[in-house]
Amino acid sequence: MTTFIIRRLIQTVITIAMLSFVCFYILSLMPGDPVDILASSNPHITSEDVARLKALYGLDKPAYVRYMNWLKTVITGDLGYSRTYKIPVSELIGPRLANTFFLSLAALGLSILVAIPLGIIAALKQGTKFDYVINLGAFAGISVPSFWLGIVLILAFSVWLGMFPAGGTFTIGAGELSGWEFIKDRMKYMTLPVLSLTALQLGSFVRYARSSMIESMRADYIRTARAKGLSRLTVVLGHGFRNALIPLVTVIAISFSFIFSGAIITETVFAYQGVGKLVYDSVIANDFNVAMIAFMISVAMVLVMNLVADILYGYLDPRISYG
Amino acid sequence: MSFQDTEEKSKSMAQMVWEQFKEHRLALISLFIIGLFIIMALGAPFVTKWTGISPDDQNVFSRYLPLMSKSEVSADDTSNRLAASVNTRLHILGTDELGRDVLIRLVYGARISMGIGLVVALISALVGLLIGSLAGVYGGWIDTVLMRVTDSLLSLPLLPILIVFAAVDLNKLPFFASLVENQSQSIFKLVFILCLFSWMTVARLVRGSILSIKEREFILAARTMGASRAEIIITHMVPNILAPLLVAVTLNVGQSILSEAALSFLGLGIQPPIPSWGNMLFNAQEIITQAPLLAIFPGLLILIVVVCFNFVGDGLQNAVDPKALRR
Repeated sequence: MTTFIIRRLIQTVITIAMLSFVCFYILSLMPGDPVDILASSNPHITSEDVARLKALYGLDKPAYVRYMNWLKTVITGDLGYSRTYKIPVSELIGPRLANTFFLSLAALGLSILVAIPLGIIAALKQGTKFDYVINLGAFAGISVPSFWLGIVLILAFSVWLGMFPAGGTFTIGAGELSGWEFIKDRMKYMTLPVLSLTALQLGSFVRYARSSMIESMRADYIRTARAKGLSRLTVVLGHGFRNALIPLVTVIAISFSFIFSGAIITETVFAYQGVGKLVYDSVIANDFNVAMIAFMISVAMVLVMNLVADILYGYLDPRISYG
Repeated sequence: MSFQDTEEKSKSMAQMVWEQFKEHRLALISLFIIGLFIIMALGAPFVTKWTGISPDDQNVFSRYLPLMSKSEVSADDTSNRLAASVNTRLHILGTDELGRDVLIRLVYGARISMGIGLVVALISALVGLLIGSLAGVYGGWIDTVLMRVTDSLLSLPLLPILIVFAAVDLNKLPFFASLVENQSQSIFKLVFILCLFSWMTVARLVRGSILSIKEREFILAARTMGASRAEIIITHMVPNILAPLLVAVTLNVGQSILSEAALSFLGLGIQPPIPSWGNMLFNAQEIITQAPLLAIFPGLLILIVVVCFNFVGDGLQNAVDPKALRR
């Protein structure tokens, strides 16, 4: 087990390192470099100045040299300076991470709470109208375009019903709110994004919960448990569900990557100030330092969650051995 | 010898699959709807011919028209202004912020959105087939390297990666810049990027099936009869891989349509004026209070088409998998 964890850990680190170079190279292919952008907004800069500035900042060097320079400064803890936000990246990224973390966690929690009971009931009532409706809903959830769902939610709940704000993270100009007021304000802005992310995630969770439950209810130990005369509730929850949980845990841990992808769109649609929106905004605005760090953090988070899922799987299911 | 035999067997297999598929009513309906959409997409130029409305016709005087409204268009703006050749046009779904007919843009959008979905699914199936079979057939270090790459790519969050890749300026890559002209550059770029990140599931699937088939008796039999590797692959392995491959490709179409729409919605995919269902929603959010319906229609079509592809995939899955539940 330990060797397995160490191997996976090394593998994850290598993937992240390789990806950071690929990403660095790809981002360097984005239209315009910092000096070009600077020059285009200032008519007094001559082309000699541009060349001199590029040489000064090492922008005339090939991508791998620039990457090594970037890596050296990042390792020392200097994440660079944001061109559009005018603050150091390290100050920018913290609150954004917290925002995305709360959003994803709320959506994940809500979708688990809703999906697992629905999936279990659908599995037990397999082939009935209820099962049919749940299935249909699950398919719709998997197939709905995330941004459109966001737009529809905005249309319904903020344009027509006026119940929630159409976008944002907190009330601007409300001053320092304390305690309960602060939480209430945040909740008001988080409701629609959380609903939207939950709806996207619900479909696949319900489907997995249902099929995994069906699978486990067909097993021999269920027949044994029934034959022992255990109550239906004990059989379903104690024997059926406990075994169905094993594949579900992995699915949920891996879904973090999906939630993160969904969060980019959801945060952008709802103007929610999270890391996902930061990735998108910085790519659009050519804010290289921010884009690089925001992207690497999101990818690293997903990869680490995958690693956690793998390890968790081993602990939950003693039948799996790692060679 | 066995050539005729396999021929007959594969035919009956297809029949079996079709019969099983028909049992899944939703899948059957979905297949029908997809057929309708494909006909619509192919027939888009004819719609323009009949109605005289093209997707790029802008008209400042008829912006944000409601459903079933009419706009007046002078037949020839400059030379014939005084002539009474003014004809009216019916806009069944109204017009958008530039006075373009929404319905015709949806019809043309189907060409782009579904076309990209199908092309990406097909190309990535081919790539996945190639990589999966290389890994499965040869094994050893080829398998290790290819599957490591596949797994790493699979574990990445798709959308951030797509956004970063889609932001690349192709003109900085001289090879690509010379390859395509400007008008369709965004389409070409998007197809390329989507293909780059959607072959992995197919590759895993193909490798898995090959590994399980490899050990079966009929492969051993073919080998003892002196069949070459290529022969074994083409006549024995491919037919057995085809069924799960078909399922994966179908599901991939829906996924690709969603990815295209998401990127176009973010302004990184298909560039206007070419209409796609995704980029029709690009500024729908800003004008949501004036024209809520503009935000509804394209998304609804995406939803319908993707649900249909997923149902067909589900139906196929049930049909080709003998262990699946009979409904």
